[in-house]
Amino acid sequence: MSEAGIDTARAAASDQGGADARASDAALLRATGIHKSYRMGSTNLVVLRDCSLSVAPGEFVAIMGKSGSGKSTLLHVLGALDVPQRGQVLFRDRQVFAPPEGRRLRTSIFDVFSAAETHRNQLRRTQFGFVFQFYHLLPELTVLENVLLPRLVSESIFAWRSCRAAARAHATQLLESVGLGGRLTHKPAELSGGERQRVALARDLVHKPKILLADEPTGNLDAESGGNIMAILQRVHRDGQTIVMVTHDPGIARSADRILQLVDGKLRVTHETGDIV
Amino acid sequence: MYKLFLTVRYLRKRRIAYFAVAAVTLCVAMVLIVMSVMGGWLEQVKKQARGMLGDIIVDNRDYAGFPLYEEFIDEVSQWDEVVRATPVIYTAGLVRFPNTGHTGKVNIVGIRLDEVYEVNKFRSGLFYEKYYPGTTSLSEQDMPVIGQDLDAEPISTADGERAFRPFELPEPEKSAYAAARSSLKLERENGTNDFGVLDGSLNSFLRENGQAPIPGFFEYRVEEPPARTGDKYPGLIVGKEIVAKREADGRYKQFYPRGSLVTVTLWATSIDGSVDPIPLKQPFRFADESRTGIFEIDSQHVYCDFDLLQRLLQMDAAERVDPESGAVLGKHPARCSQIQMKIAPGVDALALCDRLEKTMHGYMDDARFELDEHERRLLSRVEALTWEQSQAQLIMAVEKEKILVTILFGIISLVAVALILCILYMIVLQKTRDIGIVKAIGGSSGGVAAIFVTYGASVGLVGCVLGTTLGTLFVTYINEIQDVLIRINPAWRVWDMQVYSFDRIPNQVQLTDVLVIILIALAASTIGSLAAAWRAGTMQPVEALRYE
Repeated sequence: MSEAGIDTARAAASDQGGADARASDAALLRATGIHKSYRMGSTNLVVLRDCSLSVAPGEFVAIMGKSGSGKSTLLHVLGALDVPQRGQVLFRDRQVFAPPEGRRLRTSIFDVFSAAETHRNQLRRTQFGFVFQFYHLLPELTVLENVLLPRLVSESIFAWRSCRAAARAHATQLLESVGLGGRLTHKPAELSGGERQRVALARDLVHKPKILLADEPTGNLDAESGGNIMAILQRVHRDGQTIVMVTHDPGIARSADRILQLVDGKLRVTHETGDIV
Repeated sequence: MYKLFLTVRYLRKRRIAYFAVAAVTLCVAMVLIVMSVMGGWLEQVKKQARGMLGDIIVDNRDYAGFPLYEEFIDEVSQWDEVVRATPVIYTAGLVRFPNTGHTGKVNIVGIRLDEVYEVNKFRSGLFYEKYYPGTTSLSEQDMPVIGQDLDAEPISTADGERAFRPFELPEPEKSAYAAARSSLKLERENGTNDFGVLDGSLNSFLRENGQAPIPGFFEYRVEEPPARTGDKYPGLIVGKEIVAKREADGRYKQFYPRGSLVTVTLWATSIDGSVDPIPLKQPFRFADESRTGIFEIDSQHVYCDFDLLQRLLQMDAAERVDPESGAVLGKHPARCSQIQMKIAPGVDALALCDRLEKTMHGYMDDARFELDEHERRLLSRVEALTWEQSQAQLIMAVEKEKILVTILFGIISLVAVALILCILYMIVLQKTRDIGIVKAIGGSSGGVAAIFVTYGASVGLVGCVLGTTLGTLFVTYINEIQDVLIRINPAWRVWDMQVYSFDRIPNQVQLTDVLVIILIALAASTIGSLAAAWRAGTMQPVEALRYE
């Protein structure tokens, strides 16, 4: 893996953001009193109880816990992919779960067409990037097209005409930086697990998100591939990218600035400088 | 941008969508073919019905007829709107061919042939008039006989033998035929011909030796020169289906040669509506055959001279006699059953009908005419109708059949809607995780739903284009396709000309029909995609990502 390549890829994107992150103590992402439960027939399964955390700009936070402890649920709530029953998430001091005008959030089937959901779509489109355990690439699209997908979501047909060339160049550069410059026209089915995760990473960086949310990014990879992925994450973190990562692997979590444990639905800080307690 | 991008990508890559496209294609083609064939059939029926009657028909639907038709025709012929008017008499009777003893029920129609030629398209349906123009007449005539020109030089046959000069016609058929040969095609391109089975050996001989076949079925005598024979009787034009039988391949089997003796039996109807119990028998000569293409007309109508029929039915002018004193009180005006009119182009036919009715009804109280109670009654029932109104029953039957068949095929086409719904729903289930990915990177619910609505509409659009092309090609070449099928196996004839009056399957693709079908198919495809689009749009991203 080319460190220089990674650096180049991130430099232009995060210069300003990285600098701000190091300079400011203000939280980029703050969650307070998050409560999330699921209804299973007559049983109410509480997954998150009064969880609170804050993530500073440029910080690398790892959330650990046993399987089924609610780590992914917490990550989804932080990334506006899921909606809690109670609690608040602020991104740059602005509410994630309510439209700017502060309307009450409804969690019905019609919520998907509400102003609140539109707001969350906009956040996911421009501010957040997701890395999933199972890569989640679109099988009918080529590698390059998968990386371009966030740009396709953001741009209208007319705007795409003018920015298409630049977007393709940037996506190609990102793929080259993760070592997949020669696989642009390949389909995901033709790649290994590690290669697919690198494509997913490139996709999640193409729109220069303010915060990268990674859900077990190495969970489905062998040690070498997992190491490669972590190397990329460390590189982009050094460039100022804010990362929140969920993992069950202490070795992986060691890369983070701060490790939080999710136990019985509650978050506990276990390590801030690199040593796991 | 991603909506269009993903729609096109899914349309190309998801082969299961091809089934939906195929379903829409077949349904569009099917409905187009049905509407075109039924529409063409309806247009043919309307054309034939109009051709038989003229633009306006004045009638009182009474076998006793109505009086003062001559005065009426004289008056309305002065109007700019009326080009020509001619009286017609009709009654019921029996026709008998003494040669074979065949007897049948017919409607007997008395016409003035020259006037009818000007009012409607009756002439174009006459067989002998077409090939021997000017020879069809309702006046007294004898029988034409084909014979050999014994004085002429023999001709060489195909096998090198020398044979007598081919059979010839008597005058005036001979001159008329010679004049028509240069302008008429004697054999139709589709292979059917009207030359008659019994003509087969004669016309085969002629064709083999480079001679033009002689259309028609005349009596012929080999050893004698062409001539005319028999007593003279008035001419009778007979419906084609009475004098010939149509075979499944479109050819007619002729039963009677031109000039054959025909006897018509009829009963006079007096002005008060009573029917004379003593029938009248009138011999005729078979002068020509009329073919309109409408079986009900061609199998039940014969046409004779108007004045002759009027006399036979005692509908001509007569003295009004006091039954007690025997004194002559006046005159009963002559009666007819119907007046057919040709009107000038661009005239409002319905308004003209009103005016004609008022004029006729005005005669009831006109001091110029002395009408008794029965004559007034007959006049009061007179109506003026357009050709469409008078044939409404026939036309409406075909129109309703067209609508019914189209609706039935439209209902069957709902299968395509259901198929699109199922296929798209299945695709949404298969693409659940993709939907989650798109939503995770910021795709809106409306955008995701739009992907599938656009997908359904695209399936419909592609299906419409293919279906319209397929349907149009099929309709255009439908007769050629049938010809090929018949050549392979005669039992595969679909359009049985014994059942349907027209030689060829009517095929008329209307642009409005095409546009309506396309719009409905597009709408149906889009509707079929709504359920899938709703499901895709309302999926929560996290649930979608976890879907297995």
